[in-house]
Amino acid sequence: MVPAYLLSALVYACLFSMMAMGLTLTYMTTKVPNFAFGDFVTLGLYSSYTAVRVFKLNAYEGSALGFMVGALVSAVMYLAVLRPLARRGSSLVSLMIATFGVDIGFVGIFEIYTNYLQYDLGHIDAPSFYALPDFSLGGYAGVDFVAPVSVAVIVLCVYLLFTRTKFGVAMRAAVENPPLARVLGINVDMVATVSWMLAGGFAGYAGGLLTVFLPGGTATGSNLIVEIFSSSVLGGLTSIFGACVGGLIIGGSEILGTLGLGLGFGTAGAIIIGVIFLLGGIALIRRPKLRVKAAGVIFAAFGLWILADMAAGFPVDFISYELVNGFGPDVTPFQQAIPLLIMVITLMVIPQGIFSINIRRLLGREK
Amino acid sequence: MSGLPQLVLFGINWVSFGIDFITFYALYLAISLSLNLEFGYTGVPNFGKVLFIAGGAAFGGSIAGRLAAYVLNVGKGEDFITFNARIITQVNNELVNDPTLSVELIVIALVVAAAVGGLLGFLASYPALRLREDYLGMLLLGCAQFFQVVLRTYTPLIGGSQPIFVPDPYSYFSTLGTGYRDLVAMVVMVVAAIAIYLFVERVVRSPMGRTMRAVRDNEDASAALGKDNAKIRRNALIVASALAAMMGALYSFYVGSVEYDTWTRFAWTFWPFLIVIIGGVGNNSGVALGAFFFTLLFKGVQQIQPYLPASNVFDVNSIADVLFAFMLLTILFLRPEGIIREKSSYTLKRGVLGKIVKTGTTDGEKRSFASRITSRFNRHRDGGGTAGDTQPEPAK
Repeated sequence: MVPAYLLSALVYACLFSMMAMGLTLTYMTTKVPNFAFGDFVTLGLYSSYTAVRVFKLNAYEGSALGFMVGALVSAVMYLAVLRPLARRGSSLVSLMIATFGVDIGFVGIFEIYTNYLQYDLGHIDAPSFYALPDFSLGGYAGVDFVAPVSVAVIVLCVYLLFTRTKFGVAMRAAVENPPLARVLGINVDMVATVSWMLAGGFAGYAGGLLTVFLPGGTATGSNLIVEIFSSSVLGGLTSIFGACVGGLIIGGSEILGTLGLGLGFGTAGAIIIGVIFLLGGIALIRRPKLRVKAAGVIFAAFGLWILADMAAGFPVDFISYELVNGFGPDVTPFQQAIPLLIMVITLMVIPQGIFSINIRRLLGREK
Repeated sequence: MSGLPQLVLFGINWVSFGIDFITFYALYLAISLSLNLEFGYTGVPNFGKVLFIAGGAAFGGSIAGRLAAYVLNVGKGEDFITFNARIITQVNNELVNDPTLSVELIVIALVVAAAVGGLLGFLASYPALRLREDYLGMLLLGCAQFFQVVLRTYTPLIGGSQPIFVPDPYSYFSTLGTGYRDLVAMVVMVVAAIAIYLFVERVVRSPMGRTMRAVRDNEDASAALGKDNAKIRRNALIVASALAAMMGALYSFYVGSVEYDTWTRFAWTFWPFLIVIIGGVGNNSGVALGAFFFTLLFKGVQQIQPYLPASNVFDVNSIADVLFAFMLLTILFLRPEGIIREKSSYTLKRGVLGKIVKTGTTDGEKRSFASRITSRFNRHRDGGGTAGDTQPEPAK
C-alpha cells in the first residue's frame, strides 16, 4: 500500500504538470504570460461540476467536457482578444493587462453561472463545493491512476506531435522563428490558434480532474496561478517538457514540503535537507557571479547549521529541531510559499529554467 | 441630534450617495495616480499593487489600534487580537472626546503605512530592476496573492480570518449627527487625493519627471545622458508604494476594520490599471477623468441591484466585473492611448523660449536659467567634462 500523502503529492504534481504545459504553450506562441490561465482551470472545474450535478455523469466525463470547453474558450480568447491586439502593435504590458481584464471578466461570468446553478437549479453548493465522487480501484481513488496516466499520454502525444508529424514540426518552426516559418509557407496563425486550443484543453482537463481531488469554487483556478506560473518559470517558459518537469517538481514539493514542515522530516530527512543545502551552496559558491556566490554562502551555512545543531543535540534550537519534529499544523495554510520561493530562486539562479542547468559545469568538471 | 440634510429622488438618498461616491472616487484617484507615477511615467508595471496597499492598511490599522489602546490604557494585559472588538469599542468611546489623539492616530498610521509601503517597494525593486516585464508581472502577482494568504493566516497582524476593527478617528464628529462622520472621512480622503495629485503633477513637471519618461521610453538614451535608470525606477517604485500604502491606511480608518478578503487583486490591482488605461497612461488629468468614469460605472451599477428580480440570479458585482473587462478591452481596441493622450513635456512659455533662441539671454530670473542652458551647451560642445567627470584613459 502506497502511503496516501505520496499519492496526493503525485496527483497534485500531475495536475500542475498539465496546467504548466498549457501555460507554456501559450507563452511560447504569444510571448505573453496569460493571467487568465487560471480561469481555464476553473472552466474545467465547473464543467465537471455541471456534468456530475446537472447531467448525472461522472467527473471524468466532465473532465473530457472540460477539455473541450477549455480549448474552445481559449481559442476564442486568442482569436478575439490577443491576436487582434497584438496586430495593432500593443505593447507587452498592454497585452498583459488585457489578459488581466479577461481574468476579471471570467470571474464575473463564473459568479453569474454559479448564481444560476444555485438559485435556478437548486445546487446550493455551486459557489464552493466539496470534492466530487470518484470511483475506486483496488483500494485507491480513481484519480490516483487517471492523473499520472493522463500526463504520460499527453507527454507522449506532444512528443509524437512535435517529432513525427509535419504539423508538429511546423509548430516548432513557428515558435522558433515566426517570420521565417511564414516564408516557408507555414500558417503561423493557425499554429498559434491550435497551441492555444491545446493549452486551454490541458487546463480544462486538469481542472476537471481537480474536482475529485480537492474542494473547488469560483476562485480556485484563479488562486492557483502562483503554482502554475512557478511551474512554467521553473521549466523555463520555452520548453513544454520543461514545464512538465517543473509542474511535477512544484506540485510534489508543495505537498511533501508542507507535510514535512508540519509533521517533521525525521532525522534522516533533516540530514538529507542539510546535505542538499550544503552541496547546493557549495555548487553556487563555485559560480563566478558575486551575487550567486553570496546566495551560495547563505545556503551552505544554513545546511551546515542544520547538520551541526543536529549533531550536537539541538543546543540552540533554531529551525533544526523543527525540521526533525515538525512546525505543527500552522504551516499548512502557507503552502503557497513553497512554489513562490522556488520561483524566486529560479529567477535569481537559473532564469532559463531547469533544463538550462549544466550538471557538468555545476560539478566543476567543465569551465 | 440632527443628521445631514437628505435629498431623496428616485429612491436614492443623494446626499449619502454623493458622500460615498466622492470618497470612493478620491480613494481610487489617489491609488491610480500612484500607479501612474510608477507605471505610466517610469514604466514599471506593478502587477502586485494590492500588496502595497494591503501592507499599508494592515500595518497602519493594526498599529493605530494597539497604540490607541496603549495610550488610553484600555485592555491592559489582554490579547489585542482576541479581545479586539471590546478594546476598540472602548477606544472609540474615549476617542469621541479626544480629537487630538484622533489626529495623532491618523498621522502615526500614515507614517507607519508610508514606511511599510516604502520598504515593500524597496524589496520589490530588486526584481523590478532585473526582470523583463512578463517575469516581473508573474512574480509580483504571485507575491501579492501570497500576501493575501499571509494576511488570512498570520493572526497577530490583523487577526487572520477573524477581521480586526480599527479605531475610528472620526468618531468625534459622529456626535454631531448621523452622516457627519462619513462627511469628515470624505473630506480627509479628498484632501489626501488632492495632495497626491499635486505631488505627482509636481514631480512629473520637474526635470525628474522628464528623466522618468526618458527612462521609460529609451533606457539606452537615458543611460547615455548619465541617468541612473535603476535608481530612478527604484525611487519611483518606493514613492508610489508609500503613497498607495498611505491610502490603504486611510481606507482602513474609513471602513473601520481590516479584513484579509478585502485585498483581492481585482479590486486593488486591476481597477487602478483599468483607470489608468481608460484615462490615459502618463497623464494625471486623464487619470482623474478615468477614475470618474470608473466610479460612475461602479456606483451606478450598484444602484441597479434593488430593481433586479428577487430570485437574485444576478449579483451586480459580477455584472460589474464583466462590464469592466469589456470596458478595458474596448479602450485597448479603440483608443489604446486612453481618453486623454499623454502630453509632451512641459517647456518654457513660447515667448521666453523665443527670446532665448534669439538672443541667448532673457530678463530677470530667467537669465540665470538661460545662461545655465547656454553654458551647459557650450561645455558639451567643447567636449570638456564637468568637475566630476573622468577623462577618457589613453589607449595602451
